[in-house]
Amino acid sequence: MFLALKEMRRAKVRFTLLMAAVGLLVFLILFQQSLQNGLITAFVGAVRNQSAPVLVYSVDGRRVIQGSVIGPELEAQVRDAVAGGRVGRIGQGTFTVTADDALSEATVLGYEEEGLGSPTTLVTGRLPQGPGEAVASAADEAAGFGVGDVVRIEPGGLEVRVVGLADDIQLNVAPTLFVAYETYLDAVRSRNPDAGTPPPNVLAVEPAPGISAGDTAALINAASDDLDALTRADAAAKTPGVAQVQQSFRVIFLLYGLVVPLVTGLFFLIVTFQKAPSLTLLRAIGAPAGRLVAALLVQVLLVVGGGLAIGIGLYAPLSVQRIGGITLRFETAAVIGWSIALLVLGTASSVVSARRVVAIDPAAALGGTGMDR
Amino acid sequence: MKIALRELRRRPGRFATATVILTLIALLLLFLGGLLDGLIRNSTGAVRAQQGGVVVSSAASQSSFLRSRIDPDLRARVAAAPGVEEVGGLGIVQLGARVPGNGPRDLADVALFGVEIAPRGVPNVPDTGEVWADRILEADGVRVGTELLLGPARSPVVVVGFVEDTNYLGQAGLWGSPATWRSVVAANRPAEIVADGVFQSLVVRGSGSPVDLAAAVDAATGGATLSLTIADTANAIPGVAEQRGTFNQIIGVTVAIAIVVIALFFALLTVERVALYGVLKAIGARSRTIFAGLVVQAIVVTVIASTVATVVVLLLDAAIPPGSIPVTITVPRIVSSVLSLLVAAVAGSAFSLRRVLRVDPASAIGSSS
Repeated sequence: MFLALKEMRRAKVRFTLLMAAVGLLVFLILFQQSLQNGLITAFVGAVRNQSAPVLVYSVDGRRVIQGSVIGPELEAQVRDAVAGGRVGRIGQGTFTVTADDALSEATVLGYEEEGLGSPTTLVTGRLPQGPGEAVASAADEAAGFGVGDVVRIEPGGLEVRVVGLADDIQLNVAPTLFVAYETYLDAVRSRNPDAGTPPPNVLAVEPAPGISAGDTAALINAASDDLDALTRADAAAKTPGVAQVQQSFRVIFLLYGLVVPLVTGLFFLIVTFQKAPSLTLLRAIGAPAGRLVAALLVQVLLVVGGGLAIGIGLYAPLSVQRIGGITLRFETAAVIGWSIALLVLGTASSVVSARRVVAIDPAAALGGTGMDR
Repeated sequence: MKIALRELRRRPGRFATATVILTLIALLLLFLGGLLDGLIRNSTGAVRAQQGGVVVSSAASQSSFLRSRIDPDLRARVAAAPGVEEVGGLGIVQLGARVPGNGPRDLADVALFGVEIAPRGVPNVPDTGEVWADRILEADGVRVGTELLLGPARSPVVVVGFVEDTNYLGQAGLWGSPATWRSVVAANRPAEIVADGVFQSLVVRGSGSPVDLAAAVDAATGGATLSLTIADTANAIPGVAEQRGTFNQIIGVTVAIAIVVIALFFALLTVERVALYGVLKAIGARSRTIFAGLVVQAIVVTVIASTVATVVVLLLDAAIPPGSIPVTITVPRIVSSVLSLLVAAVAGSAFSLRRVLRVDPASAIGSSS
């Protein structure tokens, strides 16, 4: 311990550089973890945090709510398939709105009944109870989507008053308004008077008592090749782009995760070679190999621990920011998971150095360096 | 310099681990860059293919094709703007396409464009019911002559040719006439129906710079339009600017990590060779010669790492199935990534300069400095 700390104090630059490298890598890993989770939540939070256990798309919708259209015939097939359960319509569109006196983009999602597409993460206010009312994504409160704010659909000027806020209900990385289905239809007509009364985009289903969401989805899919019923979790996970984002980040995490132990291992291997004469001398005067290995491990843990502290220190203030429309979060589970993983990998990377230390022959102090390179 | 290269040849093991680490970092840089290029290419191809200087949308649309409406009156004002020579309407609808021979749930994602000015790669606006398709659809089994059935209404369109790099928001571009687009929208997307003569956007050709042309159009319409150059329109697609900014920051920090890793490695090597440098200086070697040797070693290690990483990332690119990870590896991306790493190598090895300068030739008399 004493030796380990003393050496680190004397070679501050080397150890600081290593800690900085590990710290930057940790920062990047954690930042990208937040970015990935924030991106996915902003993409599909509205799907994940709505109340319907099953969502039914048209196959042509490619699992995108706005791309799906459920005609009267398909709707009838769904209602038949879930006899005993509840079925509600959901309509969704992306609109230009005036919020906080500025033009911006917003997603409007209309649902018919509570429990069939209503937001489940209300944090303040209430659900819409009539036309022209909305629950907005809490992340966009400061952008003119706070309780009491009036959002105007453009062109057309339909006004929608925010009466509640809910966490993580964005869709397509845009401010999102959950409204009554009639309000959604009004918004469509406001923007495009030629539109008439569009059919719903998807259907929200609550299974009949005693039937699971998965079985209900299977029943609906068996009813028609044009229907694509998914449980809530599947609907979020299988939205186009989500799997791609996760796959891409997985490759990135793997590469960054490999660099940390390699850098640490290389550093301690070189340092061990460099101090081979001193280590041999220490062994010759009676220092047990275990103590020297312990000193090495202490250094590894201090370096990786310091790197983690630097990385988390850089990450913490950034993790509460917004990047574009994406709200980042401090990912406690990721911090703990990566800290453990990197400490284990870092320690494992020092095995080669430790073996070199153990292999030192004290007799070599009489004439050599104690280890061959 | 020769000693540095000879050391690399005779003791390659000494540099092996650093090369492996740098290879991983180079791989990260190339993969991150390829991912960024792939995402942006996949989103913006249709806009970049437009053969005009400016894309005009309605002011309230915020450059979203889907939310924009240009009626005949507004179009006439655009056409009358100073410098405008040609105006072409443009409309889009995003749908699933049924490909003959594929399963009933195995649809291809397409974005059907109705255009009056054919985009790059399409010789003429095709007849009604015919389309040019982005070549990416070949992976779904689409061939020239294939009849695609679009949307829930199964609107038929026949592919008459292929065109490259025209995707929009990850969906394969289909290029047809305005009549084809109108009939497909009417059949499949009742909420997006537009009246005859109405388009979502206009592609404008004209004299002068695109920036001036855009300003002239917006001035002529009294602010009822939002006109952007092709590059700005591509950048205004939701998510493009954010993706570019975020990925570039991550790439920047990764280059910073490369600098630190190279600095660390060569600082350690320098410490190890202080005695040798003392001897070299004692027999007349100059500090700058010794330092140049270090830089050369850093550059050689980086070139080897970059070469290996480039080969790996190209193999990865070839192995990734279409439609999974959107990686696009381009020569400019490889060149820029390798150059960044070379700059990092020089900057990183420069950390050892101070230590090299401090080596005292007199120390060669003893066993160490």
